[in-house]
Amino acid sequence: MNEKIQRKVFQYFYKNKIENFVGVPDSTIKYFIDEGLRNKKILIATREEEAIGIATGMSLAKSTSLVFMQNAGFGNSISTITSLVQLYKIPLIFLIGWRGYLSDDAPEHIKFGKIQPELIKSLGLKSKVMSDSDWQKSCEWALTQLNAGEPCSLIIKREFYD
Amino acid sequence: MIRREAIEIIAKTLKNNPIVSADGYTSRDLFETCDKPSNFYMIGSMGLASSISLGVAIKKTKKRVFVFDGDGNILMNLGSLATIGKISPKNLVHVVFDNSIHESTGGQPTHSSIIKIEKIAQTCGYTVYKTNSKVKLKNILKKIEKSHTLIMILVKVEASKIISSRVIHSPTKIKNRFLNSIN
Repeated sequence: MNEKIQRKVFQYFYKNKIENFVGVPDSTIKYFIDEGLRNKKILIATREEEAIGIATGMSLAKSTSLVFMQNAGFGNSISTITSLVQLYKIPLIFLIGWRGYLSDDAPEHIKFGKIQPELIKSLGLKSKVMSDSDWQKSCEWALTQLNAGEPCSLIIKREFYD
Repeated sequence: MIRREAIEIIAKTLKNNPIVSADGYTSRDLFETCDKPSNFYMIGSMGLASSISLGVAIKKTKKRVFVFDGDGNILMNLGSLATIGKISPKNLVHVVFDNSIHESTGGQPTHSSIIKIEKIAQTCGYTVYKTNSKVKLKNILKKIEKSHTLIMILVKVEASKIISSRVIHSPTKIKNRFLNSIN
């Protein structure tokens, strides 16, 4: 997803009353995070599970949150998603950078990138893969989920090399 | 002093302050000694009580938020001490019941008999109080009543054979009554 769209995605959620953006940085979504930093709305956690915990507390205080992370950190968070987010039905939007989407990405990302779609499916976590053309539809969908009290995830593909 | 006694002393001193309590025996002790809608009992997701309480404290600045943590629990999420210290919420009281063992999994040792959790917390900017007696614990609670700073109370407790019953409320009931009570 290009820089311009990533900044638009942040602004979309910010203007649509997402009050907190908590997470762990990922290069795939760095412009989204940068736009949040410029607006002083980003809270960086030390680990993804911690970010989910903080966002859960904010949700309990009736304040809406988006949690951003790389898919490696999503892997770290699976037990937290099943035994906290899903168990207590905490409405959160996950924004996840998809490393290993390209089959020749860095070696540490290949396996997880491959199993990620099936993993999300078996978790029963609703998700949409965003694109530059239909990003707004995906964001609207995520807000609908949130307003219905459901957690959901938006995935951004890693389509470049560094 | 055992954890259950310490929990009862603190919980009964508080009025309707939000309490986020760690999974395992900590939540069970709180449930049995002082069940209230303002208690958020964790079932599972070990280590995250401090993070959840941080989220509540950031948003509910007019309420003093308590977290009932354990030594095994906080050692699992030490990064949260750094995040809490960086944000430094003045309305958060972090209580750690330290028995130096993982009691609910069979009493295996944690690192806290060697590694001083209170020193890590101090480095992260907490004002730390430490006690192993009921009298001192009551004095600390009086002392902090009007203070306006990030606090940790490290309560050294003994292992115990008394096991409290499981929390009977469903997770969504725990959430909903907590939500209604603090908002």
